[in-house]
Amino acid sequence: MEIDVDKLKREWAGSTFDTAEFEISADDLRDFALACGETAPHYTDPSHPDFRAVPNFTARYVGRRILPDNFPRLSDGFGFDAGKCVTVLGPIRPGDKVTAKSRIHDIYTKTGRSGTMLFIVHRMEFSNQRGESVSIVDWRMVQRARS
Amino acid sequence: MSGTSYSQVEFGEELPALEPDVSLANVRRFTHAAGMTFPRFHDHEAARKEGLPGAIVPGIMSQGILAALIHRWAPSARILRIDTVFRSPILVDSRPRATGVVTDKNDGEHTVEIDLTIQNEAHESPVVGTATVAL
Repeated sequence: MEIDVDKLKREWAGSTFDTAEFEISADDLRDFALACGETAPHYTDPSHPDFRAVPNFTARYVGRRILPDNFPRLSDGFGFDAGKCVTVLGPIRPGDKVTAKSRIHDIYTKTGRSGTMLFIVHRMEFSNQRGESVSIVDWRMVQRARS
Repeated sequence: MSGTSYSQVEFGEELPALEPDVSLANVRRFTHAAGMTFPRFHDHEAARKEGLPGAIVPGIMSQGILAALIHRWAPSARILRIDTVFRSPILVDSRPRATGVVTDKNDGEHTVEIDLTIQNEAHESPVVGTATVAL
């Protein structure tokens, strides 16, 4: 089955389909950083005056929905996580309340020896309690297109 | 804070390699902090039941390891963007090696581009990526 990517993008890309809120804990910031091998105290020591989240901390979050309601089922499986791109816009600190808005940012296909793969880029845009943008996470989900 | 300054960095410079701790205990610490409850990340037997060879390191932990590689090289660096591709899983309790190389310098903005790789014990590269870093 040929996937009409342009039609999919016209119909589904761009609109916010989910909003979720998260509260930032100092213990989670510290343990996330230490487990990854960070040694800089502004990532590992909650008493440091500039203590903050490591750059990709927001990549841990998923909203209540991964795709919009009624998004067409285009593969037989659930697919897998092909990668994440994190853009850092501002610091995230303990006690912050961040709001994440989710939308489909892009849809494209790649064809190789194993067939056509469908990539859906799920974008989460994070802002803090003051309305300041702090992070963008682009999550590339890949599925094998139905044949 | 000490660190590598922009003027000190050379095109093609290799970052000191990092051999991260991906033991079951450390990955459990990560999954707890990241709120990741899937057993495939912290339970070898559960992972095998899913057809995996054993528990696997979460992709975002691999990404965090690559960020730590950069910060260990330049503690005052600010990562502006980090993009990672998860080609295949890294196994928990294995011995991966994270490396990076400076591939570009932007004199106007004092930023560098870094190519990032995590290799497994078979010298394959299950995770690769790039970062834009302000120095």
